[in-house]
Amino acid sequence: MAADPADAVELEEEQRLVEAAQAGNLDAMRPLLDRYAQPLYGTVILPRLGDTASAEEVLRDTLATAVEKIGRFTWRGKSIYPWLRQIAINKVYDVHRQSKRSRRLADAMAQEVPSETEPETHADAQLIADQERRSNRERIDETLDQLAERYRRAIELRLIQELPREVCARRLNVTIGTFDVLLFRAVRAFRKQFGDDDA
Amino acid sequence: MPESRDDDDNDLLAGPVPAPDDEPSAAERAHAKAFAELVDKTLAGRTPPAMNTDDRALLEVATVIRAASGNVELAQPRRRVLIEDALRQAVGTRALGTSGTMNTMVTAIRGTNFRRWAPWSVAGASMLVAAAAVVLWLRAPHRASPAPIAAAPQLPENERMRPADALVGPIAREQAGDAASRIDAIFADRLDGYRELRFGRAP
Repeated sequence: MAADPADAVELEEEQRLVEAAQAGNLDAMRPLLDRYAQPLYGTVILPRLGDTASAEEVLRDTLATAVEKIGRFTWRGKSIYPWLRQIAINKVYDVHRQSKRSRRLADAMAQEVPSETEPETHADAQLIADQERRSNRERIDETLDQLAERYRRAIELRLIQELPREVCARRLNVTIGTFDVLLFRAVRAFRKQFGDDDA
Repeated sequence: MPESRDDDDNDLLAGPVPAPDDEPSAAERAHAKAFAELVDKTLAGRTPPAMNTDDRALLEVATVIRAASGNVELAQPRRRVLIEDALRQAVGTRALGTSGTMNTMVTAIRGTNFRRWAPWSVAGASMLVAAAAVVLWLRAPHRASPAPIAAAPQLPENERMRPADALVGPIAREQAGDAASRIDAIFADRLDGYRELRFGRAP
């Protein structure tokens, strides 16, 4: 894959910021953290925790650890994102170890993102985030495919398309009360299937 | 969320999931409605902090589905707050200045040391001052008691007091308004006493 010139500029900027941070200017970390906070939250942390409050705490701890340990990071011509991602995953498992709750959510989403991105590709951060996003979605789709058709439709309408309950009920030709029951059972079935596949 | 559940509802997570067309019990309908309202709130960004374990587990699954579908964004203001918190947490200071450099960090570290030692320094200095005050008080020479006031020389009574009763005498009703002449008489008598004291004695 050929390197995109825009990505190359971004990577040079990233290297400059990392070196400045390693030289003691921790303010240089701010643009890096701002750039990668959302991918870490949306594709790494939240899909493994399922709880927004805990996910925000883990994100904050991840970023703090990155700032504290930036001196240990070795620049190898690739983005800092994989390093941040690994810190985030370790923090997620710390949370699960402490709470012993919903560990299988993390396990279900635990897949190795291929690390063999081409060395000359400067878009590794974006690439990894995109791969992970696709992979997460595939895991969800695989599980949805194993559910009853009406359960799958209920989840798609309410949780993926985020349509209001009334609209979801109309689309399925049921009352709102019946739709609530369908969604409730659908999420239970999804959880059972998701966990059973990966436990 | 209803607290009372029937038997089907007690093993909510472990029990089998009914088929879509199975008739729900009243308890399941109530629970489903409550869960739907939880989902409503979560989609609106107002997830209640407290809920039972089963509902939390199901809501986490719903959030995972939404997150994997790219539906959960961290709002920019919230992201900024978390980043600033992380920087503070990492550096251990209140905030990094916009021109923060290594100097900022050094200042921060110095500040941290200062905050750590300042209370002990103040306490130590206070104790030293108190000890010095006690030592000075113990070593200071005790002052002699003040000398007794010398007894006033004895003077004749007319030089210590000059009652005006004998001088003015009873005041007749018709002379009651003439206070000026009485004051003049008293003043002249006091002036006599002064002259007698001042000029009548041998130097």
